[in-house]
Amino acid sequence: MGAPVVISQTVRVEVDGTTFERAVEARRLLVHFLRDDLDLTGTHIGCDTGNCGACSVIVDGKLLKSCMLLAVQADGSSIETVDGLADDGQLNTVQQAFADHHGLQCGYCTPGMLMSATALLRETSSPSDEEIARAIQGNICRCTGYWNIFKAIKAASGQEVAE
Amino acid sequence: MLLSEVGYARPETLEQALEILVENPGARALAGGQTLINVMKARAASPDVLVDLGGIPELKGIELGSDGTLEIGPMTTYAEVISSAEARARPILGEVCAQIADVQVRNRGTVGGNICASDPTNNLPPLLAALGAELTVAGMGGARKVSAGEFFLGVYMTAVGPGELLTKISIPPGRADGFASVPIGVDGTCIVNAAASLNGGARIALGCVGAVPVVVEPESTEVEAVRGAVREAGLEPPSDVHASADYRRHLAEVIAARAVRQASERAR
Amino acid sequence: MTESTVTEPLVVEETETRRGYAGQSVPRKEDHRLLQGEGVFVDDVKRHNMGFVHFVRSPYAHAKIRSVDVSKALEHPGVVGTLTGEEAALLTDPFFQISSPPGAHLRDFCLAVGKARFAGEPVAAVVATTRETARDAAELVEVDYEPLPAVTDARRALDDDAPVLHDDAGTNLTWEGVYEWGDLDAAFAEADRVVKISELHFHRFNSTPLECNGALVEYNRGTGQWTIITNNQFPGFAAIMMGPAMRVGLDKLRFVTQDIGGGFGNKITSHPQLVACCLLARKLRRPVQWTEWRTDFHLSMSHGNERWFEDTEVAVKDDGTLLGFRTTALDDAGAWLRYEPLGGVIWAQVTPGMYRWRNIRLDFKQVVTNKAPCSPNRGYSRMQHLWFTERVIDIVAHELGLDPVEVRKRNYIRTEEMPYETPNGCVYDSGDYAKMLDTALELIGYDELESRRVDADARGRLLGVGIGSTLDSGTNNFGQSRLINPELQFSGNNEVAMVKLDIFGEIVVTLGTTPQGQSHETTAAQVVADMLGCSIDDVNVRAGHDSYWNSHAGFSGTYASQFAVTGLGAVRGATELLAAEMKKLASVVLGCSPDDIELAEGQARMKANPEAALPFMALGAIINANNAGLPEDLDVTLNCRYVYRPPFQPPDVERKFGNLTLTYAAQVHAVLVEVDPETGVYEIVDYAAVDDCGVRINPQIVEGQVMGATAQAIGAATHETFTYDEDGNLLTPNFYDYHVPHALDMPPLRTGNIESPSPFTSMGTKGMGEGGGAGIHAVCAALQDALRSRGNPIVYDSCNPYHRVWELLSDPESSRQRVTVEPG
Repeated sequence: MGAPVVISQTVRVEVDGTTFERAVEARRLLVHFLRDDLDLTGTHIGCDTGNCGACSVIVDGKLLKSCMLLAVQADGSSIETVDGLADDGQLNTVQQAFADHHGLQCGYCTPGMLMSATALLRETSSPSDEEIARAIQGNICRCTGYWNIFKAIKAASGQEVAE
Repeated sequence: MLLSEVGYARPETLEQALEILVENPGARALAGGQTLINVMKARAASPDVLVDLGGIPELKGIELGSDGTLEIGPMTTYAEVISSAEARARPILGEVCAQIADVQVRNRGTVGGNICASDPTNNLPPLLAALGAELTVAGMGGARKVSAGEFFLGVYMTAVGPGELLTKISIPPGRADGFASVPIGVDGTCIVNAAASLNGGARIALGCVGAVPVVVEPESTEVEAVRGAVREAGLEPPSDVHASADYRRHLAEVIAARAVRQASERAR
Repeated sequence: MTESTVTEPLVVEETETRRGYAGQSVPRKEDHRLLQGEGVFVDDVKRHNMGFVHFVRSPYAHAKIRSVDVSKALEHPGVVGTLTGEEAALLTDPFFQISSPPGAHLRDFCLAVGKARFAGEPVAAVVATTRETARDAAELVEVDYEPLPAVTDARRALDDDAPVLHDDAGTNLTWEGVYEWGDLDAAFAEADRVVKISELHFHRFNSTPLECNGALVEYNRGTGQWTIITNNQFPGFAAIMMGPAMRVGLDKLRFVTQDIGGGFGNKITSHPQLVACCLLARKLRRPVQWTEWRTDFHLSMSHGNERWFEDTEVAVKDDGTLLGFRTTALDDAGAWLRYEPLGGVIWAQVTPGMYRWRNIRLDFKQVVTNKAPCSPNRGYSRMQHLWFTERVIDIVAHELGLDPVEVRKRNYIRTEEMPYETPNGCVYDSGDYAKMLDTALELIGYDELESRRVDADARGRLLGVGIGSTLDSGTNNFGQSRLINPELQFSGNNEVAMVKLDIFGEIVVTLGTTPQGQSHETTAAQVVADMLGCSIDDVNVRAGHDSYWNSHAGFSGTYASQFAVTGLGAVRGATELLAAEMKKLASVVLGCSPDDIELAEGQARMKANPEAALPFMALGAIINANNAGLPEDLDVTLNCRYVYRPPFQPPDVERKFGNLTLTYAAQVHAVLVEVDPETGVYEIVDYAAVDDCGVRINPQIVEGQVMGATAQAIGAATHETFTYDEDGNLLTPNFYDYHVPHALDMPPLRTGNIESPSPFTSMGTKGMGEGGGAGIHAVCAALQDALRSRGNPIVYDSCNPYHRVWELLSDPESSRQRVTVEPG
């Protein structure tokens, strides 16, 4: 007996600690589900070929681009987005480091950058310069040139940063 | 950016997956989605049904046999290859996977997806061709083994036919391997790539220069022998915005020699 | 290496002097919301019942549109309506054209009418209840196209057999102008040598802001008022374009923006899509939402000007003194003139570049081609021209066997000559280019280059060093538009700000600008806090732009490197008014003269007796809620509006002479590249960027702009290009093929700064942000230097991907044929 083929289904996800249940078409991308169905607009869309990383979120502990996952594939998953980083308006260490080092200008790539930085620092507590660049290689920024973002992530890891 | 309407299935066994593929001629297997979902966003292809292989345990995992053969499940992600202790038996695998795109893509993209896409600019088709990999293709009626040389049939076309799935990638033992490429930007799309393997004879597989990897077996690993063998292959690479056919032909020679040099260094 | 000016002390305590906020890198006010994903970008906004629009776009670069049939789309479930070009032509008038004839005759509507003129041009619009439905239904719109031959090379656009895009113009040469100053004949007579360059090419690309254009448009039927929630960065311009076309007064168009994900000029010409959304919102009786996808943006939006420089002749002395040049600039505007042909004059803000030559002739020809319409891109039109002057300097130095550093220094305008009037009457306010160059060279380790060359050589690499210098002219005099079309009634510039003191002592600032990352909330607050003597935390700057605030004027927006002058000029003016009113009010209450009052520590107090003080809250409360008993003639509202107006004259149209921009920031970049001669692949291994934008209100923010512009220059110089095939198909329609720099592509960067205050602005600031073009010039120069030993090829194109470097390596002679050196 084969598995059922569905055009739409109910999806249940936990996002930043809150559980949501919605009916959704199979074709709907996770990023659109988050932004349009759940009104969680912190995660952004910057391209249509999976290159820019503005849509980066952490799903079941793995950093991925939510524009290349269907919402139905995330059924039952635990998703972390930028919304879950601050504690009741208090910026966390990574966010504060971005503020301290001017690691954002227009702010559009920032949610994705923060998630990539978060994923890196969970894995590597004292990343090298190369590891930092590799960690955000999938996140395009057009405003900063990345240099201040490298500094911010290094500072967030507690390492000293050349000013 | 917006997909056409599609059916979705998430089978739990290989049998279930094959059944759906057989029942729905317009169905396609969904591996990591790092290629197929983009294709669907552009509506360059709009399958009727997506068969999500992510819930089938037997398609995952890496095993190292006592004879040194690596058996890799097609749903193994690039990240899993990179971090796998078993895959270190053939280090070139992890090294090449580490050059693919970025962390996010490596967390989802799969080895099987990469080779079944048979995109001429992908890294894994020429790598597997050079390593002499063997692919297991399964259908409702049973499974068969296909050599890498016979697996890639054309752009986006492989020996995996309708109602079939790639179920195993077998890599023979060896260590004298090399890989070189000219990507657009670090870890970007390749203009030319080449994999070389010197485990008994020299085998080079060139990517980006034809619909499928072009295998060249020079008489020796000397630079001139390698370059001569590439020239003799009579490549007819595409011309596009990134490179002309002539430029690709030239790069193929140089990159092949560099892949061979790296392999030679590891042969010691 | 920073020379900072000392800011005025605000408060002189007994023993110490406290510096003000200006000049300090204070943390940004914008960050708190942006870091939490709580910015409001246009696609974040939702309205009940909103319809999603999808534009049906022409697949052909050039085609007659025989018919558009939307009937099947209308039958699709979930579709609420459509719009066609035919409707647009009935409901609207063609957009105002800046150009004089023949460009003036272009009939440009919000959708293609009768003909599609570039692949990706919107032909019809479908609105549906979900995004996916609109996209699905778009496939059901049947457009009957009759394909026509396309012209994609500007150099072919004027051939006898070239297809003509606009019958109304009758030609593809939509605008031309001849600029000539000084005495060319004398210059060439005096020259020892004449360096001739047959052709140089500045390529087509843009800044690809991460957020594309978009809007959510609502229509109020009762009042006829549209509310356009958008990310358009120049609402003043959009309104002027849209109002007449839609046959409504400008006040019926309310523009609301908050956070914008990058602009760089590429969010100025979305007015056709905004008009389409307005028409649809009215027709369909519901809000209409438009998201421009990445591919849409690449196909159709705001490409930077592509320019050919033909038949250049440079008069030069043997010692490298440059006397003058003449050239023909052939500008490829794409299919429509949406902000063009202003590019035909804006380059003239920097006619001589940074150099002292006085004899210049430039024949400017702008043509239309079957490609996306060009409109401003960071560095707009000046970047193209400055790249040209820098290439000329470099090629001249190269060919004459002179050191490019020495040639620059010999010819740079000198700091003691500032303010310097250029041959066409522009006034460079201040600057020390030679010092910037020295700083850049020191940062790049110029004196140690030989050892680096040897090291590179040992690894089989060719090392090259290149310099690029650039000017960032800011605060336009829109009178320059009259050099394009003498009939135009534009001149000068303006920006508005309002500052008020509310009932509970809050200071509220509204701007007229539309920042896209330039930190206006923060820098405005710095200025206001300094002037009012309060904490920066007590200054609340409203985020974004809203026409309903009435805090804008005709030229309001954020573009053309001007905020530090126009925006902050307006803020300063409004704050001065407010401060004066606060002092006046305080003097009435405290029984003294306004001159006896100072504003400090959040209070208005008597200088002689600081105990006699009124907190701001008291002042606000008196005027707003407790004003009985105040003198009748007391002219105080504590709600002050100021319109900043730069001191410009209309230029002399006959002589094409006059000051076109108020301030001139500058950047000098030095770049080291290593080329792999076997493959043409190269890497930027070291980078130095030095900037001078006068007084810096917030150094970290300025540096952030320099870095971002540098990264964009690196991208443009190496891989970013909008390339078309012969049929007019764009080969780089997304980020897969259009490679922008990612984190691992970035070289190490060293920055330096000097501050040459502008004598023409109230705070000595200069607008900045567009100076990154220097990177393109520098990379070209570095490649040319690296390849010296391989046949001395000439770098002739602003974009040098690997395949072009390989071409220069394998056939240097072809490129060399572009250059000849003749005796004078």
